[in-house]
Amino acid sequence: MKNWVIKLLLSSSMCVVGVAAVLIGIFYFKFISERIYEDSTLHLKEIYSQVNHSFGAFVERNWGLLDSWGDHLSLADNNENKEIYDFIEKEQEYWGFSEFYFLSSNKTCITYDGSEANIDLENVWNSFSNEDAPIMAGAKLSTGHEVTVFAVPVKNGRYKNFNFDAIAISYTNADLASSLDVNAFEGEAKCFVIDKDGNVLLSTQKGGSIFNNYLVYLSAVSDLSNEKIEQMKNDWISENSGLLQCNIGGVSYCILYQSIGYQDYIMLSIVPQSAVSAGFLSVQKATSNVLIMIFLLVGVAVITFVIVRSYAQSRKNKMELQYRELMFDVLSNNVDDIFIMLDHINQRVDYISPNIERLLGISAQKARNDIRVMEKCAVNHNVVIPKTELESIPFDGNKYWECEYMHQSTGERRWYRMTVYHMNIQDVPKYIIVLSDRTQEQQMNQKLQEALTAAKSANEAKSNFLSNMSHDIRTPMNAIVGFLTLLERDAERPDKVREYIRKITASSHHLLSLINDVLDMNKIESGKTSLNLETFSLPELLDELNIILMPQVKAKNHKFRINVQGTPPEQIVGDKLRLNQILINLLSNAIKYTPNGGNIDFNICELPSSAQQYVKLRFVVSDNGIGISKEFQSHIFAPFSREVSSVTNKIQGTGLGMAITKNLVDLMGGIISVESQSGKGSTFTVELSFALPEKKESESWFHDKISRMLVADDEEDICLDIKKLMGDIGIDVSFVKNGTDAVEAALKAHQNGEDFDIILLDWKMPGMNGIEAARMIRENLGTDIPILMMTYLDWSSIETEAEIAGINSFISKPFFVSTFLQTIKPLFSDKVEYEEHKESNVKGVMEGRTFLVAEDNEINAEIITEMLSIEGAKCEVAVNGQEALEMFKKSKQGYYDMILMDVQMPIMNGYEATRQIRVCDHPQAKTIPIAAMTANTFAEDVRDAMEAGMNGHLAKPIDMNAVRKLIGELLS
Amino acid sequence: MKKVLSILLLFIVVISVTACNGSDDNMSLSDSNKLTIMGKKSDLAKSYMTSIFNQYKKSTGISLEIIAIEDSEYETEAQKRFNRGDIPDIFMHFHNSDLNDFDIEGNFYYLNNESWVDDLTSGAFLYCLDSDGNLLGLPFWESSVSGCYYNKTILDSLGLKPATTQAEFDALCQVLKEIGYTPICWPGNGCSWMIQFGLDPIFADNPSVLEKINKNEITYSDIPQVKSMVQWISDAADNGWFGSNYSEIGWSDISSVMGSGNAVMVFIWDTWFYTDFEQGNKYSVDDFALMPVFMNTVDGGTYEGGNLNMMMVNKNSDNLEKALDFLSFCASEENYNIAFDGISTASCFKGQTTNIQSQMVIDASGSIAEYERVSTASTMIFGYSADEVAEIFRKMFYKEISVSECVQLMDEYRIKEAKSQGIAGF
Repeated sequence: MKNWVIKLLLSSSMCVVGVAAVLIGIFYFKFISERIYEDSTLHLKEIYSQVNHSFGAFVERNWGLLDSWGDHLSLADNNENKEIYDFIEKEQEYWGFSEFYFLSSNKTCITYDGSEANIDLENVWNSFSNEDAPIMAGAKLSTGHEVTVFAVPVKNGRYKNFNFDAIAISYTNADLASSLDVNAFEGEAKCFVIDKDGNVLLSTQKGGSIFNNYLVYLSAVSDLSNEKIEQMKNDWISENSGLLQCNIGGVSYCILYQSIGYQDYIMLSIVPQSAVSAGFLSVQKATSNVLIMIFLLVGVAVITFVIVRSYAQSRKNKMELQYRELMFDVLSNNVDDIFIMLDHINQRVDYISPNIERLLGISAQKARNDIRVMEKCAVNHNVVIPKTELESIPFDGNKYWECEYMHQSTGERRWYRMTVYHMNIQDVPKYIIVLSDRTQEQQMNQKLQEALTAAKSANEAKSNFLSNMSHDIRTPMNAIVGFLTLLERDAERPDKVREYIRKITASSHHLLSLINDVLDMNKIESGKTSLNLETFSLPELLDELNIILMPQVKAKNHKFRINVQGTPPEQIVGDKLRLNQILINLLSNAIKYTPNGGNIDFNICELPSSAQQYVKLRFVVSDNGIGISKEFQSHIFAPFSREVSSVTNKIQGTGLGMAITKNLVDLMGGIISVESQSGKGSTFTVELSFALPEKKESESWFHDKISRMLVADDEEDICLDIKKLMGDIGIDVSFVKNGTDAVEAALKAHQNGEDFDIILLDWKMPGMNGIEAARMIRENLGTDIPILMMTYLDWSSIETEAEIAGINSFISKPFFVSTFLQTIKPLFSDKVEYEEHKESNVKGVMEGRTFLVAEDNEINAEIITEMLSIEGAKCEVAVNGQEALEMFKKSKQGYYDMILMDVQMPIMNGYEATRQIRVCDHPQAKTIPIAAMTANTFAEDVRDAMEAGMNGHLAKPIDMNAVRKLIGELLS
Repeated sequence: MKKVLSILLLFIVVISVTACNGSDDNMSLSDSNKLTIMGKKSDLAKSYMTSIFNQYKKSTGISLEIIAIEDSEYETEAQKRFNRGDIPDIFMHFHNSDLNDFDIEGNFYYLNNESWVDDLTSGAFLYCLDSDGNLLGLPFWESSVSGCYYNKTILDSLGLKPATTQAEFDALCQVLKEIGYTPICWPGNGCSWMIQFGLDPIFADNPSVLEKINKNEITYSDIPQVKSMVQWISDAADNGWFGSNYSEIGWSDISSVMGSGNAVMVFIWDTWFYTDFEQGNKYSVDDFALMPVFMNTVDGGTYEGGNLNMMMVNKNSDNLEKALDFLSFCASEENYNIAFDGISTASCFKGQTTNIQSQMVIDASGSIAEYERVSTASTMIFGYSADEVAEIFRKMFYKEISVSECVQLMDEYRIKEAKSQGIAGF
């Protein structure tokens, strides 16, 4: 049987069972409700029958008492008044009635104390229709309070001279009502004794009797129809009992009435229906609750079973589906193929493999919402899957296209073969699209192509390099060879000889520079260059740059200005040598490619750094030189690149400087950029990060020596920088913007007894310049206060004039605390030492000295021997390190003044020989100066030489000036 | 010469002024054929007052010197005269706290043994008694009876009857509310006389309590009945016995509420039906009847008698006998019936027949005789302010304060007011 038939049968059965259960429930509840109503009304009737019976007994008792007293009282005479009074008083106390009355037929009445009764007995008199019958009637006291009177006729009675025809006792209605009250029905039952007109004699109304006529009340406020009211009245007249239901103020009540049996009085009870059936209802409720609970439990059990079973099945199906999906997802995530299922009619996406996000950068959800988002990735074709093409695929057929896509985030390109299958899935026509990744295949093809191109390029590069090298080497070599030829020819003409030698020297230097650059470049590119990190002073570096470049600047009459913006740290950690190399390359180019009298600006500023322990510096070299064409800017950093122009052709260069610079910047993790315009100048910007050394406290010196200083400079930024830098140390800095104000400030401070500890004067200021200001200060204040002059410029031209004016020392701008400290320390020392910057007479130092030269190359040995001989020194040559070591060890103390050590030598190289010398037992082993004399000229080589125990490094080919300087330093 | 003339002129003026002042004194104190009667100008101008004065003069030939003082100056002017011994033979004053300023014991004759005393209605008699049971004056004034006026037509149509006890009253309210009526019209917006009806029995029935609270020896908070009254009012409001918008009902709304039958009962006075109850409504004055006010302070309820002007006799007067005779003349059945002929008022004398009494009061006369109290709270309690009490209750109706806080605030204001009046003990 088919599933749907089973389901239909099952559903129908459940519906039938449900309807049957509901009908049974309704029938049951109706049956039970009716039974409960019957039982509860029966219960009500029984209770009030008992109340009625009890009240009747009470009435009978009172009448019985009155009858018995009446016989006695009718015989009494006046003499017995006291006895009667006492008797009644005693009886009142015993039976609890409120008053005793003697009633006369003339409608007068006295109480048993003989006073006139303050009571309206109209009803009582009216009730005496039958003279022999006892009566019960309501009466009202003069205060308005109501009582019920029981009276019996008495014949010929007389009391206290009052002729009476009846005696009566009264009860307050409140007391009497308590005998009608029942505890049943949750205290909500009310009982009334009423006459047949509905007038209320007694009431158990909570609080007291507020009802005058209950029939009127019911007519007015209940939903009883006139017919029912009339029927009830008729029942009362005919002394029938009855039971009614009515609604008063939204509450259902049961009204029970029955004749008391005396006069026309009726006992009427009114009880809320909920109270009548309360006990039964609670049973009904409990029963109902149990049944409902059973139904519910069974229902819940069935539903739970169905749900659990259904859930289990669903879960199983879902799990299987999830497993399949998971496996498919894992599979698709680990392959680079994309799977898509499209609806045949509207091309809506039913499925798309999640790896689309990884492969194309499109979220699967977006692609699912609209497959056209894939068009963004499509390269060279706008439509992802052409609709017409799709529709052309026959059922159970397929078609494929080659596509190229680009990753939306990474830009990575991928190639696919898109195969579309048209098929039915669960009777629904679908398109299954499989994008098979062909990227590796494509990339392999491309790589092969690129490799081929690269091989071609490498070959071309090699050819270019050789061509370049051939050209660049041959050019100076041509000059050298040519001039040597000319030298041979003109050997007898000293002026020609000197000219040729100068030109040969220049060409040699150029050739040497070319070789150095090529080797350097080669070493950087091969990754053999490493950075030598050390803490160095930025001000010192700038100072050295200034010194190195100043001759070139002066030679071309440029204006060169180093400008430090802000207050970058002075001590930084980096490869000073390489930084120097970068900056010299840039500055040298600026100087070289700027026509005479140009402006070269070198700006240094600090950039925001991402890490606290690092500083990021920007070095900007700008000039107003010949500029660089747009075309050349694109490959300015390529090796052997030199712009070809009428100007550049006249300037010597290897074309490797910028390539080396770029590589060094890259090596240091920085960036370099160029902005230039032909004919207007160039700006090179280098941004590098440096670590910061741990701070050293050198501020105590300042605190001991200086507390106040005066700065005079027309550039306010400089004044503010100095104020900040010195302020951080705790020095109070005052500044003025011209010489006149500087003099005035110094004099005023002196008059106040608060002389400045030091004064810094700019050289060139508007009005009075720094020298004039210094002179004025010295004339007025004497020579106690040190005065320093600050300038960007070379101060050598004004040095003498400034000293005469009273300037103690000079300091170059920009202002650095460390430079300042270094400059002023001598001025504050007890014994002032002036450093004399005089070039030492190296020649004098070398004269008469004996050098041990380790050199395996005979020619080089001869050259150095001759060179030293020219300087008045003699040398002894060892052909390798071992021999040098032996010669030194055998020498007497003081015989050799210095050792010049080649590095690459047979048997024992220079490093090893030096190490051996330093550890041997010769008295001079530790002290004799040893200098490397080698063609190994890289920074690493210098470092290796120092680590081996050498004291200096001389690069080959030997430059005698360098030799002189080094020897002078080591031997002085 | 000028100086002599000036002195002479001044002498004449002084003599004239002295003569004028002296003539008044002489007339009141020494003229044996005259009686002096002092009262408020507007009070003395009442028709029944002028009638009795004329009857007396005509009957006895004794002239009456009427000292009529402007109403607004009465207390201060009378006080000045008493202070300087210028006390009239007959002094008219209401029995309220201001009367204590006139040295009652030293100045006035107690009238307990006068022949006309038994002819006084109980309410009038009680009103004129001091705390020691001395009859201070003859009540000769128009009066009213305050109580719970109910729509008997509605009650009759429902088969209900008026309450005689607090419990019955509460039951009546609840039944009326359950069948859709607003049991009580409670004008909660600015009206406060209802409160004093509840307070009256507490102090009228217990003079020592009144004395203690006026000496600041106890407060309302120390009197359980006060709290039970406030609690009852709060509960009644919460039970819906005042209807839903009672706190917005003001004086001018009572007529329409009662006339339309929207509410069944109201705590008010009989003359209100003749002065403020508008005609033309569904119900007229004939539809109403009177029962006591029940506010949970006394089980049998209470009525408040009217404020009566008393004629008090100067015990130190040379004309004491004549003054007592004058009071007897006024208390004569024949004379007061002539004076009050056609006047709408409750009776002060049992023999009063010519005045127009409301049927409501006549029908309830038995109950009134049983439960009537003189107006005590508003007249006898120092610092009592009806307006302030109304405001305090309004806060309670809005649930801004609790029952205890309501009682506390009533005390705070009363004490503050008494202090501001400089009353001893505060």
